[in-house]
Amino acid sequence: MILTLKKPKISDEQLNRIIKYLAIIILSFGIVLLAIQFSDFWNWILGAIRAVIIPIALAYFSALIIFPLIKLLEKKGIGPRGFSLAIVFILTVGLIFVAFYFLTPLIINEIRNFFADDFPTIVDYITNDLRDDFIFGGDLYDQIVAYVNETNVIQDTVDQFVPSLIASLSGLLLPLLTAFALLPILLIFYLNDYEVISERIRSIIPQKHEKNAAELGSRLNQTVGAYLRGQLILMIVLGAVATIVYKLIGLKYYFFFGFLVGVTNIIPYFGMIIAAVPPIVYTFIATSGPGPLLVLIVNVVLQFFEGNIFQPLIMSHQLSIHPIVIIISILFFGSLFGALGVIFASPMAASIRVVYRFFQDLRKEKQKNSVVGANAP
Amino acid sequence: MIKNSRPRIYSKFEINSILFYATMILFIPLVLVFTYTLNIEYSFDIKVFLLYLLGITALLTIIGVTIIILKRDKMKRHVKATYIQEFYYLVIISIFGVLGIIVLYNYLQGPQNYIANIFVILLVLFVFILLRLGRKYFNLKYTKKK
Repeated sequence: MILTLKKPKISDEQLNRIIKYLAIIILSFGIVLLAIQFSDFWNWILGAIRAVIIPIALAYFSALIIFPLIKLLEKKGIGPRGFSLAIVFILTVGLIFVAFYFLTPLIINEIRNFFADDFPTIVDYITNDLRDDFIFGGDLYDQIVAYVNETNVIQDTVDQFVPSLIASLSGLLLPLLTAFALLPILLIFYLNDYEVISERIRSIIPQKHEKNAAELGSRLNQTVGAYLRGQLILMIVLGAVATIVYKLIGLKYYFFFGFLVGVTNIIPYFGMIIAAVPPIVYTFIATSGPGPLLVLIVNVVLQFFEGNIFQPLIMSHQLSIHPIVIIISILFFGSLFGALGVIFASPMAASIRVVYRFFQDLRKEKQKNSVVGANAP
Repeated sequence: MIKNSRPRIYSKFEINSILFYATMILFIPLVLVFTYTLNIEYSFDIKVFLLYLLGITALLTIIGVTIIILKRDKMKRHVKATYIQEFYYLVIISIFGVLGIIVLYNYLQGPQNYIANIFVILLVLFVFILLRLGRKYFNLKYTKKK
């Protein structure tokens, strides 16, 4: 009788690996389950961490924008660090002050004019003339109005929404104010000792991983820094172009609408759409000025320029991520972290890609080294 | 004779000269485009303002040309493979410059009906010039895969 040993479908090594991964997954679930039991404790800890993280993250992001300027000055021989830092800091603060001093009155004036001149017209239109223009017919309009009047749905929604909005805003206001008050101090110390702090962080990492961690950190800094600098320039350029074009076509609140284009541009793809809605709606209701079609065309052209000229030029292909990935990351990080998640979805996606590419490169290098080692005499 | 297909790489002197002359040509439109949003026409007489701007442009051009001539030899020694950052600058000033020319046309009380036509013609002209300049001097390859 001949005995033939069948080759097992899974090798011992693979089986060991599967068991290891299963154990890790089960243990992770166990830890999550245990953590859920102490949610109050975790909220307390997370609150404390958040209070520290927000100002530090703001200082870090601001440093990524400002530090290349300091480096540039030092390269030109303007030093020591304290002097170049003072120049850049005074210029930045001056620029912010000038922008606020000149732009805030303009925007406030436009908002005030809107509520004085156009808001009563809009209310009048909604209450009297909207029925005739209602796209689904007068009967449906009457039914909707009757339902609104019967159920008092608008009043109820406002009653629920306003207190929660005030509560969340007041909850957010104090940490934000603290962060903005601390930001200049943190920024001065961080920028002054930029290299020393990086060196200290490096020294915490075990020597075995120090080189790789430094390389990864430098790549991440480069990507996030490029994104932040590019995004800031993009917002200013697009906001300015939109303001000028809106004024050229005779749109009334051109400054506010242009400002909106600049600010909402921080959200990739959706920002321009969000910014286009208010002026288009306004032109539908306004009795003078350009028609909605012209405003729509302007926004489509701006969107085209933003996607095909400004974005590739200013971002310089640093963040060449597929649009689908960006949209998915906006949805994912938006649901996780709210508005901040939406704003920082692109750099987060880019950072994940950098980490993934880094480990890919590391693996390739390891494979190359092992092949060289095996071929060595 | 084998034709050399490699593009000529220009020095910083040529590139900086292009950037400087482009900035000076577009200087008045560039200033006007920003003053337009701040409603400068209500605070100043626009013709006097334009005259002052013309004077400032002439002064800056003389200073700039002198600096370029003085630093010519030093700049000629600096060479880069591509001048992408410099080209970005040129694109951004061109976009604002086109808008500024429309603002200038508006200030000079040109017929309003032709604004869109002039804008499209200017845009096509600027895109054509930028593409030619980019390929010839800034060494950009538009069809190159990333």
